[in-house]
Amino acid sequence: MTLFGTLAAALAVGLIPVAASAQSMSPMRGEVNSFTDAFAVRVFPANPYDQKIKVEIHVYDQDFQPVDARISPGVFQLASQASRPVLVVVPFGGAAERKVRICTESIPFPNQQTQIKAQICGKFFGHRKS
Amino acid sequence: MKWLRTSFGAALLAACLDQAAMATTQNVIFNGTVTATCTLVVATNGTMMVSPDLQSLSSHNSGGSAGTVTLTTTGGVALSVDPVTTTTAPAADATATTWTPTYSASGAHTIVETGSATNLTVPGASLVSVNLAGTKGGSNRFASGNYQATVTLRCE
Repeated sequence: MTLFGTLAAALAVGLIPVAASAQSMSPMRGEVNSFTDAFAVRVFPANPYDQKIKVEIHVYDQDFQPVDARISPGVFQLASQASRPVLVVVPFGGAAERKVRICTESIPFPNQQTQIKAQICGKFFGHRKS
Repeated sequence: MKWLRTSFGAALLAACLDQAAMATTQNVIFNGTVTATCTLVVATNGTMMVSPDLQSLSSHNSGGSAGTVTLTTTGGVALSVDPVTTTTAPAADATATTWTPTYSASGAHTIVETGSATNLTVPGASLVSVNLAGTKGGSNRFASGNYQATVTLRCE
């Protein structure tokens, strides 16, 4: 996908991103119309902890198989009580529409015997317009 | 003259009342939209202990403890756990282990311990307890050493 295509897809986003505070990810639902071969979603992972955490963003299909999406940034450190935007560009892969899950994942307390990975997933539906 | 003054005063009062009656009110409308949200805050990780017959390594066993997570949601989301795929075991343990993650919740959402997905329809905050049990069958036993497993708790 060309840079122009990516930018066009980003501009084609039908969501109105809402900055989040003390939420793990916002928004968690959305439908996007795109006139390119990809659609873009901007999500806002947030860190509700009193400590810095490592956050990973992953994109899955409906069967929780990984989707080859462009995630900027895909892995980052997030300060306590902070939130930041993440741009996810999902290719349609030749289809007219695509449903994906965009998930924010973190293990706030690593190196323990039984670790809990908190995963917040939003469901997004992309429509390709001709 | 007195009658004239009274009439003038009455007319002036009526005019003032008319002015007050002409005052209008306007409603100021506020709109707000709360979209579906879910927050998971891991409070504590869990601890697994081995059973006397060495065939169970579980947070349910004596001395073990569940992991706890605070969940806050608007409702309209689902809570679930993934099958455990990330584990480490001591080199002496070469036999298969079956890992079973489960969770329960109390508070705004009452969930009896389950491994299946649960739809959370109402808003509120709950305390989620996450348990993990590893079992070995036949003559297999857990070996001495450090075990580690990761349970994925998902809200979507």
